Amino acid sequence: MAFVTFKEWGAYRSHSLVSVLVGPVFFLVQYFIWTAVFHAGPVGVMELDEVIRYFAATALIGYLVMDFADWNLSMLVRTGRFLTFALRPLDHRFFALSQKVGHRLLGFLVEFLPCWLIFMFLLGIDMRPAYFGWMVLSVGLAFLMNFYVHYCIGLASFWVVQSGGIRSVYSLLGGIFSGVLIPLTFFPMALQRVQFFLPFQYTSFVPAMVFLGEFQLGGVEMSIPGIVGVQALAVAVAFLLAELLNTLAIKRFTAVGA
Amino acid sequence: MMNVITVENLRKTYTTYKRGSGFGETVKSLFKREKVEVNAVDDISLAVKQGTICGLLGPNGAGKSTTIKMLCGTLFPTSGKIESMGFRPYEDRKKYVRGIGAVFGQRSQLVWDIPPVDSFNMNRAIYGIPREEYRKTLKHLSELFEVEEIINTPTRVLSLGERMKCEFIMAMLHKPKIVFLDEPTIGLDIIAKAKIREFIRSINATGTTFILTTHDLEDVAQLAEYVIIINHGKKVFDDSLQKLQHYVGEKKIVALSLAKPYGFDVPAAVGARLIEQKSPVELVLEVDTAKTPINDFMELLSRKVSFLDISVKALPMEEIIASIYAKPSKE
Amino acid sequence: MRVFFSAYRSCVAAAFATAAAYRINFLLSLFITLCFNLGFPLVTLLIYNAGASFPGWSLFEVLLLQAIFTLSSGLASIMFSGVLWATMQHVREGSFEVVLLKPTGPLMFLMATNFSPDDLGLVVGGAGLFAAALVFVDVSLGAWPMFLLLFAAGFAVMAGLNIFMAATSFKWVGNSRIPEIFDSVMAFGKYPMGIFPQAVRGAATFVIPVGIIAYYPANALLGQVDASMAWVILPCGLFLAASVWTYRRMVRLYEGVGG
Repeated sequence: MAFVTFKEWGAYRSHSLVSVLVGPVFFLVQYFIWTAVFHAGPVGVMELDEVIRYFAATALIGYLVMDFADWNLSMLVRTGRFLTFALRPLDHRFFALSQKVGHRLLGFLVEFLPCWLIFMFLLGIDMRPAYFGWMVLSVGLAFLMNFYVHYCIGLASFWVVQSGGIRSVYSLLGGIFSGVLIPLTFFPMALQRVQFFLPFQYTSFVPAMVFLGEFQLGGVEMSIPGIVGVQALAVAVAFLLAELLNTLAIKRFTAVGA
Repeated sequence: MMNVITVENLRKTYTTYKRGSGFGETVKSLFKREKVEVNAVDDISLAVKQGTICGLLGPNGAGKSTTIKMLCGTLFPTSGKIESMGFRPYEDRKKYVRGIGAVFGQRSQLVWDIPPVDSFNMNRAIYGIPREEYRKTLKHLSELFEVEEIINTPTRVLSLGERMKCEFIMAMLHKPKIVFLDEPTIGLDIIAKAKIREFIRSINATGTTFILTTHDLEDVAQLAEYVIIINHGKKVFDDSLQKLQHYVGEKKIVALSLAKPYGFDVPAAVGARLIEQKSPVELVLEVDTAKTPINDFMELLSRKVSFLDISVKALPMEEIIASIYAKPSKE
Repeated sequence: MRVFFSAYRSCVAAAFATAAAYRINFLLSLFITLCFNLGFPLVTLLIYNAGASFPGWSLFEVLLLQAIFTLSSGLASIMFSGVLWATMQHVREGSFEVVLLKPTGPLMFLMATNFSPDDLGLVVGGAGLFAAALVFVDVSLGAWPMFLLLFAAGFAVMAGLNIFMAATSFKWVGNSRIPEIFDSVMAFGKYPMGIFPQAVRGAATFVIPVGIIAYYPANALLGQVDASMAWVILPCGLFLAASVWTYRRMVRLYEGVGG
């Protein structure tokens, strides 16, 4: 099944081209910004070299965890096609997850790899992770986190007709607090601490810090196995939440009998 | 009557890319795609007389839309010549389209979220119609269509039939001399279809030429004087409606579900033949209504068998084309 | 042209009527568009908050620049962003004929019929930020004419970028990521140009003049630009003209010229 979506996306080779173009260009802007910002001396808790590698890493991680399951799901619910899944013996979450895996495998090939090569060899950024195994694990968890959170948002369509508003709010907060915009260590202390209890940092900031090999947020320093453990815990919570919402949604769905 | 449109040796060739199937070809298509040439319109010549209603028929993908697009001036021919109202449509597009109107059954020109009257007003501004004239035309058209009320409600809440009426008004406000209709009755119920047809006839009576593409043979039978049939990009028929009926006969397709199986042997004199039998109780018959009017046939049928369900349809396009091919032209 | 303005007026009125029909949605999307576009001033704020700076620029000077950028992109979105989405949709559904059936230029028609008041949020936000930054920055009265001139030039670039995007969608059918490419290019216009190397600065002035959108107008307000800078209008005008030319060319290709 992963292969079907793999193929359907194969037709859109231009998507890959966009990523290969956009990723490095955005990164270059960041590179110049931070090089200028560090001109007078150290800023915050990270070194310039770390900040630059951080932005390169978040760009690449984005290609591996990107998700819009919520959008697909709310489409299915709105058009009533979700029913066809409810009738199949196959679970929709499993279907959506396989679809996602297919998309991201393709993303790995046509977006991640070319961009990694560009960063590593064209721009000369050291893109070797500090701990390869932990890195893979953390990116995998980030992928699951992103999937389950978006799935929950998609399930919201069962209760709200237009889940568009919820989606925009989430992606807005995600844009700010996932760490893609700026390393979270630049935020005020209180905001940094709150992040441990919110899903955002686990999709981008945490794997990027694992890539750098040291984690610090809200004045808390953690070992890499430690923060990956916390990340795993957060994913487990998101998973349970998705399961709960799913059960409630199916109940509601059959009750309405649409 | 003079020709308002003449077309000579019109051709349109597209280049598309082949899409592979299977994993290997998908990967390959990421890097290199195979070119395929398609002759959408292949050497078509035709003429449309002023003030007539001309039907343009053909199965899906026959090249109808491509032809219409070229006649509207929105698509360049690969070769050949089109002259319409003294214009070369594709060369003088902006001037030419001022004199034509178009209704595409599946492509709305109304703005979805606002009342049709606002869309009309937009067209007024775009075509530069003087306000007084616009008011008169709109009043006349909305009375004719009985839509004085609904043109003030948002388009999105209108029924398909109401919307189609408004699409027509939108296309007629600037009083075009030629109107292109692409599947104007698609998806409409019988009453709405009749209304639209009546409207087309009444506008046609004022001298407006109509070019009508459709799947619905009923549209053609009710409206068109001339019929052009296109298949695989080539013209296969170009003559009067009577001539077409002469070729095709007045055949209907009757689909039956029987209460119990019945060994069918229809006497040849009745003019019906079995063309498909899906199961012992599901039959499809072709009936020549020139020999047996449909009323008589039904009577005959009801005396012989008891049926659960029955439908009477016009002959499908493919059948018509097949029968045109089957009968060699007498000219 | 007169016909165009009359059409434009009636379309704009219709667009506002639509927005009024969906008030809540409209206000919400105003707000959300605004929030999404204030990310980069937020980064600026956090950077200055951490005690760092862009060399030679105070916080409010940078915010002034970024407010100008937001304002310009907001105005351009209102007027031109609809052209991109409408073109994209028409090309994907093969219904661009509907546009070609109108006795106007396709670009004019789409501009008029796709006026998007949703992006008003950006203009309001940009204007607010602009006013706030002005309080903390000294601007002489004499700086305004030059600012307006350069702002107009920068706006031409914004318009050109939008039209280029729309033109791209003829080739890249259904690629909803086209705007990302232009966003990434525009990112160079959101910061003081001094942070970029010479080559980038050159490209952002002469080739794709994104630097003129906000950097030069901000400098004009700060009294860093003299009248001789007026020549930058030239690359901006050329850029806009090139975008219109490209769009027209794409329409011709769609019509199947030599296709």
